[in-house]
Amino acid sequence: ESHTQYERVGADVTMKCGSMDWDAAVTWTANGTDIDESHLNGSYLVLKNVDLSQSGQYSCYEGSSWHLKYQTNLRVGMPPKEPVLMCRSNNYPKGFYCSWHLPTPTYIPNSFNISVIHGTKDMVCEKDAVPKNRCHIRYLQLFSTVKYKVTLTVTNPLGKNFTTLTFDEFAIVKPDPPESVVAKPVPNNPRRLEVSWQNPSSWPDPESFPLKFFLRYRPLILDQWQHVELSDGTSHTITDAYAGKEYIIQVAAKDNDIGTWSDWSVAVHATPWTEEPKHLTTEAQITETTSASTSSFMAPPTTKICDKGAVVGSGAMAVCWTAGLVVAAYSVLFI
Amino acid sequence: MAAAESPSAALRRRDLCSRGIRLAGKMRADVVDLLDAYVEQQGLDASASAAAVEGVPLAAVERWDEQTGTQRLLENLAAYRAFRTLLAQMLEEQREQLGEADAGLGRALAAVLLQVSAFAYHLEELLRLESRGVPGEEGDEEEEDGPPPPPRLSLFEQKLRGLGVLRELAQWAVRSVRDLRQLAKPSPATGAAPGLAESP
Repeated sequence: ESHTQYERVGADVTMKCGSMDWDAAVTWTANGTDIDESHLNGSYLVLKNVDLSQSGQYSCYEGSSWHLKYQTNLRVGMPPKEPVLMCRSNNYPKGFYCSWHLPTPTYIPNSFNISVIHGTKDMVCEKDAVPKNRCHIRYLQLFSTVKYKVTLTVTNPLGKNFTTLTFDEFAIVKPDPPESVVAKPVPNNPRRLEVSWQNPSSWPDPESFPLKFFLRYRPLILDQWQHVELSDGTSHTITDAYAGKEYIIQVAAKDNDIGTWSDWSVAVHATPWTEEPKHLTTEAQITETTSASTSSFMAPPTTKICDKGAVVGSGAMAVCWTAGLVVAAYSVLFI
Repeated sequence: MAAAESPSAALRRRDLCSRGIRLAGKMRADVVDLLDAYVEQQGLDASASAAAVEGVPLAAVERWDEQTGTQRLLENLAAYRAFRTLLAQMLEEQREQLGEADAGLGRALAAVLLQVSAFAYHLEELLRLESRGVPGEEGDEEEEDGPPPPPRLSLFEQKLRGLGVLRELAQWAVRSVRDLRQLAKPSPATGAAPGLAESP
């Protein structure tokens, strides 16, 4: 027969070879490898102060016939420590979820049982498929002052433990961070950055339960954050950015009336608009170009030659005055 | 409401709702401050769970999202009228208990009472706009045989009751903001009252 045996780390384990007598001649193996006789007390296998590495398949064979007499799967582990439990409502007013984990592994299978009581009423916390250690509950009542009491019990073959959380409806409301945060420079404005974002998709009804937002930003080169709190809208223009410096920007959300701030959103980076250096042909460059018959002046594609407002003429004949100067200068050369 | 709302009525409703939301928001902030001061000065334990105190309107509600606009207004009005009476009672008890020794708490209580009265009036305005009659207040008619006055509470019971009153009032203030936001939503063309949502 084969079965599983659970033992605590540090325990002394004695295994009998099934129904064999103490003085029977037997051979024990661990994961297929013969075990030294020094671990035997007659036909009993004695493992002192077991550690995790001694987990495995232990088999006992009758001495001469090598007939398998007994087999056990030894699992060395620990009883559970007090679990860590957290409950949060990121989808208010629909409901809340609780999630949990063990602070240290037990190395053996654990089972979790969660109970939720609201006043005198038992509520069912439906386990999520993914992630495993999580369950969710729908609010049956809103605006209640009666607290919720959540008890999580963890059990394994070596012991059990539990923890309890007590909270009221408002206290656990914490939205997910805002999504799709985008920061863009504002053309021709060296000190501005336009930031926009969206409500977290898990927040079911932002119209009836509006969120307010907290924006923080700083240039990469500085440690200190600037903060702005926004009571409505999902965009904001930063107007005091340092010209030319790359910024890091994050946004957080909170229900307008209750609960706590979300974690910070994913950080986005942006640099305010800067004026591009003008690659104009200067007087010096013109005089250098002496054999000019085949040369032609080609502006690099990304270079801005004209400033806005410096255009002379209109339509097809529109020419900016600086380009005009250059053309005029060339014309003079060829005359 | 069978007919669709006139544009001016819709505008007035939205205006009353936004002002109501601001009133309720301010009221809540003041009630929360008052609650902290009350707990401290009355020597109470903030985590004391006050069992449902008799006569205090509970903010807790099931199927909140399914309520009609009228239901919301009526329930809010009944609650704030009750709070008006309860706070007046607390103020009286406060004066008896401490006399001049705790004028600050008394003043804060009076300020909240004023806001509660103002909010109740605001709700009455909204109900008039909904073309609903404003229900008369209980106890207005002196000839009515109301329930006998409650037995006089001990000092400790008074304090616990006060805690229960303020806690529920704080919840109501949050609920009222939510209710008014629902109310402020434009009513569908079918004429169904605002706030009537699909069943979950």
